Amino acid sequence: MTDEPIWRRDFPLTSAGEDETTRREFVRYLVVGSGGFAAGSVGIALWSSLRSINAGEPRRIVDLDRVPEGTSHLFRYPTDADPAILVHLPGGELRAFSQKCTHLGCVVYYEPDTTELHCPCHEGLFDARDGAVESGPPQRPLGRIDVEVRNGAVWAIENLGEQEAQR
Amino acid sequence: MTAPLPTPRGRRRERDVPVAVGVFVAVLLALQMFLLTVGLDAFLADDDALAWTTAGFSVLLAAGSIGFYRYLR
Repeated sequence: MTDEPIWRRDFPLTSAGEDETTRREFVRYLVVGSGGFAAGSVGIALWSSLRSINAGEPRRIVDLDRVPEGTSHLFRYPTDADPAILVHLPGGELRAFSQKCTHLGCVVYYEPDTTELHCPCHEGLFDARDGAVESGPPQRPLGRIDVEVRNGAVWAIENLGEQEAQR
Repeated sequence: MTAPLPTPRGRRRERDVPVAVGVFVAVLLALQMFLLTVGLDAFLADDDALAWTTAGFSVLLAAGSIGFYRYLR
């Protein structure tokens, strides 16, 4: 037994190209494919918008005397999957930022000679005092982390996220 | 009585239309793939504005393909 329709048995005639895909059928696949891509893009945008900033819990980072002025210390905050950098600026001020560059997520490093945070992937430069973009492809400042000194140790208090840099 | 032979211009048009459809499809899907990549980059870099912009363009292209589908009746 074959699955061919009755009319095919009654009229066993074939024509050239009858098994080929028509333009309309072809474009139907295009609509499905294009719609799938569009749904994926909208889903990514929704996910990006709806995820909330994890403010984190206060956590001890390091003893202050282990981070002399003009040096930096790498740590993780607010979770162990979030790289962060503590900078002890010349003059004594402490600043902490997310280590993820706001361009494409590479990690930034402290340049003590210029008091800048440098992203080696695409030569992005951020001001180490406030995380503001100085040059390169990044368009947004680094995420800030509020820190304070308690009993000779530096504590991360809260993840502030990206906010307008205040000079 | 025999049917008139197609003119060279008519034959060229018959050939050009499927090529145009193929080019349209290739460009459209390549653009969609590019936009999805940009959207993922925006997601990883926490750039909501860019993610929504690429999603908007992607939806626009999908609407264009639906319009094309309706045109090819």
